[in-house]
Amino acid sequence: MLVLTRKRNEAVMIGDGVEVRILRIGRDGVRVGIEAARSVAVHRREVYDQLCSENRAAATPAMIVPSELTDGLRQLAARRGLRSDVASIVSLPLAAA
Amino acid sequence: MPAALSLTAPPPDLDETLRIETRFGTIEARTRDLLHFPGGMPGFEKCRRFALLALPELSPLFYLHAVDGPPASFLGIDPLLVLPNYRQNLRPEDRARLGEDADPRSLVWLALVSVDRDDAAWVNLGAPVVINPARMIGCQVVPHDAVYPLRHPLKLAQEETA
Repeated sequence: MLVLTRKRNEAVMIGDGVEVRILRIGRDGVRVGIEAARSVAVHRREVYDQLCSENRAAATPAMIVPSELTDGLRQLAARRGLRSDVASIVSLPLAAA
Repeated sequence: MPAALSLTAPPPDLDETLRIETRFGTIEARTRDLLHFPGGMPGFEKCRRFALLALPELSPLFYLHAVDGPPASFLGIDPLLVLPNYRQNLRPEDRARLGEDADPRSLVWLALVSVDRDDAAWVNLGAPVVINPARMIGCQVVPHDAVYPLRHPLKLAQEETA
């Protein structure tokens, strides 16, 4: 890991598009400002880690949703008359085996 | 006539048909029918292309299957079906990733579902997948403020089962 010492208002550049600047140094924390292209996602590490673990739980390949739940949700969707635009982006139907 | 020399990679063949093995069988999808997730998803950064399937037996859940990267597939549901008043604002960086020209009303929202060993189902309302159908671009948005939980119980309310 690269370790640098920075004072208040000093910055580091990461690659050619990300600048991290030290704005304030307090007793319990350091306030940093991050300047990056708008499309660069910036997350607090612990939030990102939590999201990774939620995604891993959701990606369990053989996961099966209890059929009572799917049935109930289907009835609920029909009752609410929810129309979703998802139909426009679904891939082709299953190929004939 | 000789082919023109080009220094850039040829554009992807949007009509190329891929055979994709999923847990629900083999699908055939053209490249243009796949969703592109520029940065993958947290924990699945190498999963850049997904096929989205609507299967009658899963409805109203949708099946999101990663075509690239490690094997990964997800089930998603319209968050409005879970919470009728669900509404989340997109952060500027998420809008940029989806395309600045995207009409907010045309975006498709999917909250990812997980089921634990006790058959309890959860839905991630905090960090939904948002898709811009016009560009077939998707991303998982991560809110700065925790208005909605990453783990919300997915169950039918009493009056809904009656």
